[in-house]
Amino acid sequence: MAKAEKKGKSQDVLVIGAGIAGMQSALLLAEAGFQIHLLDSSPAIGGYFPLLDKTFPTNSCGVCFMSPLPPAYCPIYESELHEKIKLMTSSQVSGIEGEPGAFRVSVTRKPTFVDPQKCSNCGACVEVCPVEVPHEFGGGLEKRKAIYLPFPQAIPRSYVIDPAACTRCGECLKVCSPGAIDLDMAEQRHTLAAGAVILGLGFEPFRAQLKGEYGFGRYDNVLSSIQYERVLSFSSPSRGMPMRGSDGRIPKKVAFIQCVGSRDPSCGQTHCSSICCMYAIKQAMITKERNAEAEIALFYMDIRPMGKDYERYYEKAKAEYGIDFRRSAVSAVKQLQQTKNLLVTYVTEEGSFREEEFDLIVLSVGFSVGDEVKDLARKIGVDLNEAHYCRTEEFTPTQTSRPGVYIAGTFREPRDIPETVVEGASAAAQAAILLTGVGKKGVPAKTYPEEGALGEGPPRIGVFFLSQEHPLADVVSAEELINHIQGLRDVVFTEEIPCKSPSEGFDRIKRRIGEKELNRLVVAGSSLRALRREFGEMARGIGFNPHVIEYANIWEGCGLVHPQGSPETLQKAKVLMEVAIERARRLEPLKQGSSAIAKSGLVVGAGIAGLTASLNLARQGYDVTLVEREDELGGNARHTWYTLKGSNPQVFLRELMEGVEEDPKIQVFRKAEVKHLEGYGGNYRTVISVDGQEKSLEHGVIILATGGKEVKPHEYLYGEDSRVVTQRELEGLIHSEDERIKGLNKVVMIQCVGSRDEEHPYCSRICCGHAVKNALKLKELRSDMDLFILYRDVRTYGLYEHSYSQARDKGVIFIRHDLDRKPQVISRDGGLCVSVVDPTIGAEVEIPVDLVVLSTGVEPHDNRRLAEVTGTELNLDGFFMEANPKSAPLDFVDRGKFFCGLCHSPNFIEDSIAQAQAASMRAAVLLSRGGIEHTAHVAYVNHRLCCGCGLCISACPYGARVMNEEIWKAEVMEDVCRGCSSCVIVCRNTASQQRNFEKATVMAMVDAAVT
Amino acid sequence: MSQNTLAEDGERYSYFPGCTSHSTAVEYDLSTRAVLKAFGVELVEIEDWNCCGAAAVHSMNKLLSLCLPARNIAMAQKKDLELVVPCAGCFNMLKRTERALKTDPEMRREVESTIGFTYREDLKIRALIDMVVNGIGFGRIEEKVQKPLTGLKVACYYGCALVRHPKVTQLDDSENPQYLDTLISSLGATPVEWSFKTDCCGADLALTHGDVVVKLVNRIVEMAKEAGAECLVCSCGLCQINLEMRQDADTLGLPVFYFTELMGIALGLKGTQWWSKHLINPSTLLGSLNLQ
Repeated sequence: MAKAEKKGKSQDVLVIGAGIAGMQSALLLAEAGFQIHLLDSSPAIGGYFPLLDKTFPTNSCGVCFMSPLPPAYCPIYESELHEKIKLMTSSQVSGIEGEPGAFRVSVTRKPTFVDPQKCSNCGACVEVCPVEVPHEFGGGLEKRKAIYLPFPQAIPRSYVIDPAACTRCGECLKVCSPGAIDLDMAEQRHTLAAGAVILGLGFEPFRAQLKGEYGFGRYDNVLSSIQYERVLSFSSPSRGMPMRGSDGRIPKKVAFIQCVGSRDPSCGQTHCSSICCMYAIKQAMITKERNAEAEIALFYMDIRPMGKDYERYYEKAKAEYGIDFRRSAVSAVKQLQQTKNLLVTYVTEEGSFREEEFDLIVLSVGFSVGDEVKDLARKIGVDLNEAHYCRTEEFTPTQTSRPGVYIAGTFREPRDIPETVVEGASAAAQAAILLTGVGKKGVPAKTYPEEGALGEGPPRIGVFFLSQEHPLADVVSAEELINHIQGLRDVVFTEEIPCKSPSEGFDRIKRRIGEKELNRLVVAGSSLRALRREFGEMARGIGFNPHVIEYANIWEGCGLVHPQGSPETLQKAKVLMEVAIERARRLEPLKQGSSAIAKSGLVVGAGIAGLTASLNLARQGYDVTLVEREDELGGNARHTWYTLKGSNPQVFLRELMEGVEEDPKIQVFRKAEVKHLEGYGGNYRTVISVDGQEKSLEHGVIILATGGKEVKPHEYLYGEDSRVVTQRELEGLIHSEDERIKGLNKVVMIQCVGSRDEEHPYCSRICCGHAVKNALKLKELRSDMDLFILYRDVRTYGLYEHSYSQARDKGVIFIRHDLDRKPQVISRDGGLCVSVVDPTIGAEVEIPVDLVVLSTGVEPHDNRRLAEVTGTELNLDGFFMEANPKSAPLDFVDRGKFFCGLCHSPNFIEDSIAQAQAASMRAAVLLSRGGIEHTAHVAYVNHRLCCGCGLCISACPYGARVMNEEIWKAEVMEDVCRGCSSCVIVCRNTASQQRNFEKATVMAMVDAAVT
Repeated sequence: MSQNTLAEDGERYSYFPGCTSHSTAVEYDLSTRAVLKAFGVELVEIEDWNCCGAAAVHSMNKLLSLCLPARNIAMAQKKDLELVVPCAGCFNMLKRTERALKTDPEMRREVESTIGFTYREDLKIRALIDMVVNGIGFGRIEEKVQKPLTGLKVACYYGCALVRHPKVTQLDDSENPQYLDTLISSLGATPVEWSFKTDCCGADLALTHGDVVVKLVNRIVEMAKEAGAECLVCSCGLCQINLEMRQDADTLGLPVFYFTELMGIALGLKGTQWWSKHLINPSTLLGSLNLQ
């Protein structure tokens, strides 16, 4: 629209809250070309992310996420380094005026009293600061000074002063050599323009003191899970070893108490916090890994590992780690004064009263929305729901009540990391759609001057040492290092560059390259992470190949890990310099190829997820081909008549289908299937068959949304007795006001039919909610109907917990059973009854019934053939498998392939919608690029050494290796190779090599380090 | 009247002694009167008071369990004074009645018509310990201490009636109360850190299920000893007698004081041998610390 350019319109996006959700939204939108303002009220970005050591369900180490070496995935560093993201820490929003596409936001920046541009992180201020207070990071277990670094890896990397603790004694001012401290720094206010706003506001952990009976805050050996997460982190004072607060002893008997501040009306926390079961299991497993002697008990009401692959994790904790799960209610924790051990009193499911002594207790605290967040929501006009979370509608899960303001993460509902990442992407998609057409979009391709013939001829190395003001400078002096390397082979020039003014330094280096005819560079000193991008850009700007620059990370390798310094530190610095020079001598200039992108997408499956993904991708400006195997669109949603939250899926589905059919950018093929797919992210060539006719397509991305289906039960007399139906069939009967419903007096529902058993060893997540939904509906029709739900664990997570409470209040009776004592459905003399052992009375009960309803699980369609055709993988349960369950939950390893909906994992409609929107965003990011820049450090094959064994072909995760069958030698498709070096590792003849990491280069570096 | 009003010399309070003050806990009554007199506080016993109904009534007849305390409230509100209740059990019954009168209009009408009075919401009902801590205040108490209880290790036992349910009693921290501990410190004694301050002593189950009380009491006293205490201090007639009578005196033998008794010693009052009625003789303990 021509009017789009009108005054006040902005394409910028403001993201409030720089936790996992906010960083995800910011990074995706920035990649898609939008300018982002990423704001957080804390002095450092990251939210709770830096606290996590290991994450479930893989127990992979979160510390590596924080590793300073690229290409490790770390959203914090990526956010810091992205040129389209402007960080605004210690900042708060006080109001938002205007309308979608043209907001004006008032921002207040609190003073930190330290200038991050000047602060050199030497830490001299901390030494002299006389004030000590508990450190918020890690729940107050450790102490910090009034001037402090928020946490070791804090970004922005600068000390800050806590004005509440500071006594203004001025001692820090005296020792701050860069003069970074300004105690008179004032609050700043400004306004900024933004077209859209995303709320990535986080949670507040429950204050365990409020449950006084557990003694948190009184007993040294009772920790909150936040504190225990810190204890288990390798960067904690105990280096990750479980430890008692009272005496530093390693605890043998450890108890976890669940639902502290969750599912508990006595403290006003009526919802389920969703993730505590999983994080407690994780913490229990790590405890056992760190101390094999540990005996661990976990006290719980219902265990709720309902995410993808979580049930297996739980089973593993029981079977392999021997963690003792005790269904019980804990009434009190008492401390013994001599040993400081703790007595836990609890009541078991059968009603017996027990007491047991433990060395350490961890309280699994729940989450809620903090007052600050509620206050902000009020200020910016975003409504809350009854549970004080952000109000959203089921079918627009990331849209708040205020148009143009979107929501992601734990302010919407308690969420784990994959769901938060999904919502971050979903919110980003909504913002992108809103702003598409507001102005120019996409990342303009940069142009650089032609590169000279650098790298030819003998190496002429220039070494530049970027010096910082830091106490360590006395130990590792630039002068000494420069003297040390001056005589080394091929080093023709050395110079110290003061780090104070980077632009001046760059100018000097550029001059030197010309003057001294340098063709290799070694840059030493500051963090590689901070330098690599800027130096690369500088080099390309003058036509110098960026791949012949090597970095020696003296600051982090010496300054950060040996802060006190010693003669060995200097020795290490010298070695790091030598290693860098040895590599630089062997570096070759690399040409990075690129290819154009087919700016369109292919979506497979036209259920809610596929339809939503198509529409979202089209509305971001890309052509979409949607293929559906069946004749009719809509998938499972065609058989769903109402949701637990009270919405009508039929209305939504109709609107969605109309939207898709009317959108000129979407072409729909029914009775269509994918037959063949080749190519790589950005450029796929696919053959589909439409009603028997083959058709070729070119597209840049593919989104699989092939759905799932209800498990067909083969037990409980299903199919034999017409009075045994599934939940979906019951829903149909209720919806059609069937006569059979009117005559019902007694109904039994049986949970986990085709879930959590041998055949389907996963939780289908939605069946507990489904049963509660239909039970409430029946109670609505006939309040005196007797309803029984026979369950294994009630998994009404998050705000669904309220529906569970409501069902109990209305008289629905819940009876638990175990897998090895399943209920029996008996048809006798024309009557039907269900028999089950009720553990609370320890006896078998027989319930005569009119109807038995089976809560059947969800299973994927048989995706084996599609996986083969599309080059994607399935997990053990037949769902598609993601590249990384935490950081890339909707992505396949190949970067142009995505998936969402029931083919990902069982989910409610709203989560499927969020996934579909998120997948469209992740796909759009790829499509928005000017071109696909290929990896520079690709693999290549020395044909003389290749024996044609083909190991590299099976090892390559990207399908970049092929066999040249004419000469029977392996080859590399350079435009597909991502430089992971898997092929180099498996090659027995060292025929596979990676550019600039050749064996000779690496060996020379190792030699330099050890000799 | 705010809870923190200081009781100036000559200040007056209504006083509900409770039945035990005439029998098993007469020493609580005597020590209370003596200590308060030393601070110039005058207690005006309410006219014709009756049993608060503690023990069994609340489990037998709800209306009666509210009317018995309500009659005392009716008598007390005739005077324009705050009502002070030494016994934790009585205090709890009166507070429960107050809550019912304030929050349940139907029940209020029924109670009012049964007793024949009109409830005035302004009567303030205070536990004696609350009046001592917040009315007299630690400053005045410390000033008056003549004989600090140095070296006396005390487990402060609040029981369940004084602080629970928190919405009813509205007193101190219901999980980790501090009033007695701070008071004992200001007398120069050492309160021990322990976790059984608010456990139930079994109360009137002593009459029907003695074995239960034996079990509960022994656990409390054992834990007091484990925490390093040489005696306990409490603020309830029933708790005191349960704790002394039902503990295994041979293996434990910890004396149990009313807090007013310890105040009396510390203030150096004459004739403080109120504990002659105690079942566990504290003389040896007090003698060893020169506190006789």
